[in-house]
Amino acid sequence: MQYNLTFSMLLTAPYLGWIADGVLTTLHLALLSWSVALLLGLAVGIARVSSNRALRLFGTFYVELFRNVPLLVQLFLWFYVVPEFLPSETARWWNRLDEVPYWTAVIGIAFYTSSRLAEQIRAALGAIPKGQFEAALSTGLTKLQMYRHVIIPYAGRIMIPAITSEFLTVFKNTALALTISVVEISATARKIEAWSFKGIEAYTVASATYMLTTLAVILVMTMLERRLAIPGLIRWGS
Amino acid sequence: MTAPIIQVRDVVLRYGDFTALDRVSLDVFEGEVIVVCGPSGSGKSTLLRCLNGLETFQEGEVIVDGENVATCRNLPALRRRIGMVFQHFELYPHMTVLQNLTLAPIKAQGLPRAEAERLAMDYLTRVGIADQAGKYPGLLSGGQQQRAAIARALTLQPRLMLFDEPTSALDPEMIFEVLQVMKNLAVLGMTMVVVTHEMGFAQEVADRVVFMDRGAVIETAPSAEFFASPKTPRARAFLKRILRIG
Ligand SMILES: Nc1ncnc2c1ncn2[C@@H]1O[C@H](COP(=O)(O)OP(=O)(O)OP(=O)(O)O)[C@@H](O)[C@H]1O
Ligand SMILES: [Mg+2]
Repeated sequence: MQYNLTFSMLLTAPYLGWIADGVLTTLHLALLSWSVALLLGLAVGIARVSSNRALRLFGTFYVELFRNVPLLVQLFLWFYVVPEFLPSETARWWNRLDEVPYWTAVIGIAFYTSSRLAEQIRAALGAIPKGQFEAALSTGLTKLQMYRHVIIPYAGRIMIPAITSEFLTVFKNTALALTISVVEISATARKIEAWSFKGIEAYTVASATYMLTTLAVILVMTMLERRLAIPGLIRWGS
Repeated sequence: MTAPIIQVRDVVLRYGDFTALDRVSLDVFEGEVIVVCGPSGSGKSTLLRCLNGLETFQEGEVIVDGENVATCRNLPALRRRIGMVFQHFELYPHMTVLQNLTLAPIKAQGLPRAEAERLAMDYLTRVGIADQAGKYPGLLSGGQQQRAAIARALTLQPRLMLFDEPTSALDPEMIFEVLQVMKNLAVLGMTMVVVTHEMGFAQEVADRVVFMDRGAVIETAPSAEFFASPKTPRARAFLKRILRIG
């Protein structure tokens, strides 16, 4: 039996539109989840190194909770279980939203990823000499100003490789969203296969999407890392 | 006589069971230069850090420039009046020297950028490294970094300066340039509390020497007196040891 590769078919309606939608959904799902995860991870990472015991405990609990349950299970929990426990008002509002699966995926991926980012952020904060915190405070900066202007920019530079790899993980994890019926690029590929039996072509497009985006992200982040490298830091830190 | 600018009264600070400061008292008057010395682990850094509220103590009180540090509602504002210099400089490595100096004046004090930069350049000139303003700290020598750190503290125009072993991390040939900056500061009348093992500096510049051991102030004496005839055996033993090495 012979299989004819016909990529040109994918450029016709309705497939082209589906692919465009799928690629876009994957991209903004990844970007949005990752941005939310970064903010949550930052807060939790700082809580983990806080001098306040309650905050530290909360941070530990948060990380262990979201890091140790598989993302797939977490998505199901957010999608099927959590809405059951919402107050009826909130549940009604939630169910009336247009894109419930999409927002569920954002929440699930963001919480999961934030727990992993929080650990990276905690490690980066731990790598910053204690004297940097004290120097900033001694000049009369508030704690918030210290984090905003000194610690986070410093930690951020240390963390660029980790943040990059975390983004790439998020990006690939978005494929799991198809299990709660988000039509991102992997789901799109499945749909195209079901309609046209052109599975190879469809999955090739999906794979290419992941690979090209990944390469682009790595390229941009490497450039950023080079631009933001701290001159003489190695000698300074030793 | 006016009230001391620093009053430390019977301060006790414990880490768990360990007593790091044991009923420490000290008065410092405006314009005075105090050298604090003593063996490693005797609580010198801890005492210094109590003065600007980086450390919290369990008993006693610390009053700096009229404010009770332990109950102070606005520590950042108080800290702006207290410059601090660290053993390892602690310049922010991701900012240029000039940005290091202007950060707090702009963000904490609310100075316009132009004015903060003018002030910063003024102090960089005074410590002799105006030409390094645009560089990153990691590219400066240790002595230059420490001078930049001193200038960073001065740019806030503090009422007093705290130094925690400012030359201990420096190669010998750079110690001199940093001590020179500190001497100039003393001549200009800055109130200074200096933790150091540079006994030459203490003899030449300090008004009084405070000797600490195991968390307690063992001896406080005018510099000349301290070096000529330390009263306590422990201070005598310490001096003997350090002068032989140093
Ligand atoms: N966070 C802390 N927890 C427990 N013990 C501490 C802490 N910080 C300091 N110490 C202890 O308190 C004592 C005093 O420390 P401090 O740093 O003030 O000594 P020092 O006189 O400055 O010594 P050095 O000359 O080595 O700098 C030391 O024994 C130190 O181990
Ligand atoms: Mg010390």
